[in-house]
Amino acid sequence: MPLCVVAVIVGALAILSAAAPADAADDTSALFSSGTAALRDGRAADAIGSFEALADRGVVDAALSYDRGLAYAMRVRIGAESSGDLGRAAQGFEEARDLTHDVRLADDASRALTLVRSEVARRRVRLGEPVEVDPARSLSRTLAGLLAEDTWSVIAVAASVAMALGLFVRWMAGAPRARIGGGVASGIAGPVLVVAVAMTLAARHDRMHLREAVVVAANARPSDQRGIVAPGATPLPEGARVEVVDARGTWSRVRFGSIDAWIASSALRPLARVD
Amino acid sequence: MISLWVLLAGAALSQGAPQMQVQADPSTVGVGEMVHLQLSATSADAMPSDPQPGTTSGFAVRGQSSAPAQTHIIMNGSRMDRYTLTTTWALEAQRTGTFHVGPASIVLGGTRYSAQPVTITVVAAGQAPRRHGGGLSPPTLQNPFSLSPFDLWRGMVPGFDEDRSSPEAVSTDPKLALDAPRASYYFLHSTVDKTSAVVGEQVVFSVYEYIDLGAGRVEIDEEDLHDASVADFVKHPLQREDQEAPLVGYASVGGRTWAVKLVRRWALFPLHVGDLTIGPMHVRMRRPASVAGAERAAETLVVHVKEPPLAGRPPGYVLGDAGRFSLAAQVSPGEVDQGGAVGVHVELSGTGNMPSAIQTPAREGIEWLAPEVHDELGPTDHDTFGGKRTFDFVVRLRRPGTVDLGELALPFWDPEQRKYEIARAKLGAVRVAPSAAAPAQDEAQNRLPDLPPLRDVLEGGRSLRAHPDDSLVFWFAGIGGCPLAFGVAVAARAGGRRARSALRSRRVSPARELKQRLAAAMAACEGGDARAADAAIARALEAATVAHAGVSIRGAVAGELVERLERAGVAPDAASGLAELLGECDKARFAPDAVDMLAARDRWTRAQGTIRRLERSG
Repeated sequence: MPLCVVAVIVGALAILSAAAPADAADDTSALFSSGTAALRDGRAADAIGSFEALADRGVVDAALSYDRGLAYAMRVRIGAESSGDLGRAAQGFEEARDLTHDVRLADDASRALTLVRSEVARRRVRLGEPVEVDPARSLSRTLAGLLAEDTWSVIAVAASVAMALGLFVRWMAGAPRARIGGGVASGIAGPVLVVAVAMTLAARHDRMHLREAVVVAANARPSDQRGIVAPGATPLPEGARVEVVDARGTWSRVRFGSIDAWIASSALRPLARVD
Repeated sequence: MISLWVLLAGAALSQGAPQMQVQADPSTVGVGEMVHLQLSATSADAMPSDPQPGTTSGFAVRGQSSAPAQTHIIMNGSRMDRYTLTTTWALEAQRTGTFHVGPASIVLGGTRYSAQPVTITVVAAGQAPRRHGGGLSPPTLQNPFSLSPFDLWRGMVPGFDEDRSSPEAVSTDPKLALDAPRASYYFLHSTVDKTSAVVGEQVVFSVYEYIDLGAGRVEIDEEDLHDASVADFVKHPLQREDQEAPLVGYASVGGRTWAVKLVRRWALFPLHVGDLTIGPMHVRMRRPASVAGAERAAETLVVHVKEPPLAGRPPGYVLGDAGRFSLAAQVSPGEVDQGGAVGVHVELSGTGNMPSAIQTPAREGIEWLAPEVHDELGPTDHDTFGGKRTFDFVVRLRRPGTVDLGELALPFWDPEQRKYEIARAKLGAVRVAPSAAAPAQDEAQNRLPDLPPLRDVLEGGRSLRAHPDDSLVFWFAGIGGCPLAFGVAVAARAGGRRARSALRSRRVSPARELKQRLAAAMAACEGGDARAADAAIARALEAATVAHAGVSIRGAVAGELVERLERAGVAPDAASGLAELLGECDKARFAPDAVDMLAARDRWTRAQGTIRRLERSG
């Protein structure tokens, strides 16, 4: 009899544990559906509530980020904007672009991001502030971002093999042409190997350490570590993508183009990373 | 009696040294309490001066006051002068222990005179025994020659002074009792109704003052009162603070009866998660004199604050909205022209952390302007904060037809029910009549046109994946493997060559070569080829000169050959014999006619002898 009781208890636990993730998934789907329905009906605030509730639960999904960005953008469009809505919209689109593996979603997110940043730039022009909203990345990061990290890894391995083969041929071959061919191959593969290894390391460093966020406040003024606003400093553009270098208390140190400053952490919304 | 005292005093004083009396009151105090050290020096010659308390370790001198007095008495034709200096020091006890204070001293006629040191015991705060009796008299009233016996004996006879009326018997409330008094005469005690809360949940903070009923008049310095610091909370008083603190009851603490009054009661709403500190309220004592200047502080309290649970959290919940709320809304008018506006009056009532804003159901064509907010908030009862907050919105309607304004919803966390609730108020529909004079869409309406379509299916979460460059195998084998292999091959080949060369050089040593050539010559001489035999004999002779004389004669002509051998230490006859033999071998080798094998063998025999001679001489 005790064995039967144990078996029943174990079975019940197994069912419950299987049910719990299923319940969570249902809850996620239900919330997402209610959010998209609200978005379709033009109820931006309700849509934002649903999508933010999913974000609070730790759900990270490209479509969710995209729709959340759309909800904030819609609230701006219908004239019910809250301060920081443009920034939060930009954050949703940036996150969707980073997370998705759907080319069309990435295109739509890029298009929406351009609209949002144009609106931010238009407002900054009215206020007499600089309109740079998306400064160029550094050269190294641009190069590393040309290809995926794994692609750079493969190129590095191929270059290594090619260089070694070239050296072998040059060393061992008797025919002059073969020796020349081996020398040329190793001479080309060597620099390619160096570049590919550097780009792999740069991409890996970014993956491991780079933390980025989007400014979600309309008046995030650059300050020093004590929170004292730099005199004459222009606020960082709302919706700007910044690199978060350090965080202490309620302040975060960010880099935006050539600007390296501290701003209130509440003015930033981090971009989710999966890798 | 007085005369006797005076005569005796006079007799004593006439000797030059002053009469000194020192006392400390009280002799046992608690930490932070005051002790008065009094020195009275009397001289018949001059006024004592420069009073010093002596060593005061364990105490901080907070004040000093001196009162000189002169008395001149003529009795039976004799004049007596008395000069008295009474100095009182106020000492604040710093730490527990038994301390010897002093000796206090004065200067008289250029000489410093010291009294005896006094012993003062300092115990923990609130542990000192209560004093009875008059204690030290103010210096201005101290006059040892006063004609009033009461003044003279003041403070010297226990119970002689006015009696303090003992406190009437009162019933004490056990709920107000504490384990021990926090200080003597008066102390502060703070409490919270909970030590764990969620963000925005009300925490009731109270500060009580405990007044010892047997202490007589107790006063605090109202100018030196500091409220508790509550930087991590929003604070709302639950009682008026500009009135006398209400009496809560009586408590028995440490065997004494205390009156307990509620001096502060606040509703605190935590602003963020964490262990949030409520700093102490503190005041300074003014009376009784023995504790004047001493500080009284309440406890420092900590409240652990976290977020309400994620599970079941409704969309739109704003962290900090906690309490019990209800919403009511009225829309007027019910009909309006296109482009016109309606008023929406929203009433948010309840208790707790009243939200400062309400999310409006913004939709296209409906513009909600910023509301006017009015509050009627305050204590709703003894320990709850709440009331009513009204929002008056103006809503502009841009599209004709029957416009449903939607519903107001306010999600909040109910701390009593420990669950989320949503307060709702339906707004109903408004009929918007089309108007030809409706304003054209302004620039604001053209914001963010042509947004791309939404996505109604989740893409699916991406899981963490490994990258090849995270592995050491990638770096060592993938990147470094091939070049490393090439390097190893090159190194191996070079090493092999060097090894073979070393091996070869070990194999072809002069002795071994000689041995090989002797064997070869032997074999050649046993054969039938005389020229080969002569060649082998010549090579054997060359190897022998290298092995035994250390000189190579290869390529040397006859004269030079002998010279080389002699320079190498070979005897002249042996050298010439060897040269002659080599010459014969060469001649035979290159002779056009056939060479006699026997002659070759003979030359071999002679060569062996020459080699042996070389060996012996080498």
